[in-house]
Amino acid sequence: MSTALKLTVDGLKAGYDGKVVLEDVSMRVAAGEIRIILGASGCGKSTLLKNIIGLERPLAGTIEILGSKVDWSQGRPSNDLMRRIGVLFQAGALLSSLTVGENVALPLRIHNPGLPMAVVDQLVRLKLEQVKMGHAYDKLPSELSGGMRKRAGLARSLVTDPELLFCDEPSAGLDPVTSRGLDDLLLELRESLGITMVVVTHELDSIRTLCDRMTFLSQGKVVFDGGLDQAEANGPQEVKDFLARKPEESKHTGRTVAFNLEDG
Amino acid sequence: MKVQEVELPEEITPDWVSREHARLMADAKGGEIKLDCHRLRKLDALSLAWLAHLQDTLEKSGRRLILSRLSPELKKDLAKVTLPEPVAPAPKDEPALSLRLGEGAAKFLVEIRDTLVLLSESLYWSTAALFRPKTMLREDVIIQMVRLGSNALPIVLLLSTLIGFTLALQSGIQLQKFGATVFLASGMGISMVTEIGPLMTAVILAGRSGSSITAEISTMVVQEEVGALHAMAINPVHFLVLPRFWAMSLTMPLLTICSAVSGILAGLMVGLMFFRLSPVSYLHELRDAVTINYLIQALIKSLTFAWIIALVAINKGMNVRGGADAVGKATTSCVVTCIFTIIMADAVFSFIFYY
Repeated sequence: MSTALKLTVDGLKAGYDGKVVLEDVSMRVAAGEIRIILGASGCGKSTLLKNIIGLERPLAGTIEILGSKVDWSQGRPSNDLMRRIGVLFQAGALLSSLTVGENVALPLRIHNPGLPMAVVDQLVRLKLEQVKMGHAYDKLPSELSGGMRKRAGLARSLVTDPELLFCDEPSAGLDPVTSRGLDDLLLELRESLGITMVVVTHELDSIRTLCDRMTFLSQGKVVFDGGLDQAEANGPQEVKDFLARKPEESKHTGRTVAFNLEDG
Repeated sequence: MKVQEVELPEEITPDWVSREHARLMADAKGGEIKLDCHRLRKLDALSLAWLAHLQDTLEKSGRRLILSRLSPELKKDLAKVTLPEPVAPAPKDEPALSLRLGEGAAKFLVEIRDTLVLLSESLYWSTAALFRPKTMLREDVIIQMVRLGSNALPIVLLLSTLIGFTLALQSGIQLQKFGATVFLASGMGISMVTEIGPLMTAVILAGRSGSSITAEISTMVVQEEVGALHAMAINPVHFLVLPRFWAMSLTMPLLTICSAVSGILAGLMVGLMFFRLSPVSYLHELRDAVTINYLIQALIKSLTFAWIIALVAINKGMNVRGGADAVGKATTSCVVTCIFTIIMADAVFSFIFYY
């Protein structure tokens, strides 16, 4: 695999409970790129992400992250590989019993038990400042708003300096201003740290702000892979309609009821 | 054919339909229904659904629904209306009894396998922590010891004292018939140390601490917190299971001792108050009866029960799928499984120790 590629997915088939959700999904993400995975609700975006980050085992196909194959033959994928990626979950997924500072420190505390606490503390404060959450160091997740939780989750995913960052619907459930702020933050992080990002979203504003290339999923299959301009100009009609916010035509078939009317 | 005439109100409300529909159908008695709509001012979703239902019901039995004196505006509205096609309910595919029994047995075996895997992982990580003490999450163990163990002390003491009191009173009355009240101490000592103490503590902790572990871990699963641990390459067994496993293993024997002591003291109180036993003879008899073997039995039992509660509760929590209702179901299932398994294990221990 070329070193310029940070993520390669080939012929991925995925699903659960005997139901196939993704069929023959392939994509390549280059270094420094922000790749958007998009599609309508229920198209398999989150399943694709869970398979890539090793939360679910693929039914078939191969996934390579940072040049190493995600290998399930010995159980869950190797910890060494997973330590090199960061994941921002939809709601932040902060541990509710720990403060924001403890949450961000968690990966360091577990993976590097010998690291002096003062160094860990310094690093945690640095990352919190990077996501503009320095003031929330001692707060519990329950004391934060949705946007703040996501920022804290982002700080935690960045604390190990990952080369590849996955974000699951970063702007879902946020007001437009907070959502734009988070998108700008992701762009800043890409500029300053050079992180490659894979962002799952269906928020059109986020897509326009972040997208270098997109992978459009429909009913578990990739129907478009390319840039935003290319999608709008020459993409399949389904992709153009999605980007133009044109709703899908209703398949609802109604019936008229013939009532017996009398005037008298 | 008989025609039942009814005047509709200005607005068809849920209350009106609930009140009048059954009466209307009963009064029609197989005849046609004519609804006088001259007062009706609007056709909302409820009115349309009700009228369509009435029309379909009458049509099926070859009768007619007639709407009379409907205003021109409402006639226009009615003409625009399309209703969804009636959907026949999907036939329920009830699996055969043998299949359900088989599935239940398979699930049970998978659960046993998962619990044993969890036990082996817990023992592995516990041993590893002994050689790499920095990886041991000491603070977390202490927090869990307080939450799962120490906080349960008052309820364990209270219930054990009450049970000890009842047990001593009932057995004392029987022993008195044979002039053998002096043996109250040995009876109380052996039963509280080997049976009531470990069992009572285990049942209380299954209900209190087991359910708390399952609820906490299953909520973490539902809120993707466990997924986040995997994504951070943090082994949930190391981070979540070990502190609880250690906390239960350390606090359960201590609570069992407290339970047995409080029950024995309750027995002493009963002996003094009702059977004129002297404290010296009670304690002397107790010392002779409760040998070190009984104490070892109690320790083995309490440790086993602690592992059962910790592992069953964690396993139930980790395997939860769904939302808030799944958390509730997992918690209930944890308590039932823990108590059932504890009593089964207790029966096995009785067989091993006494035969």
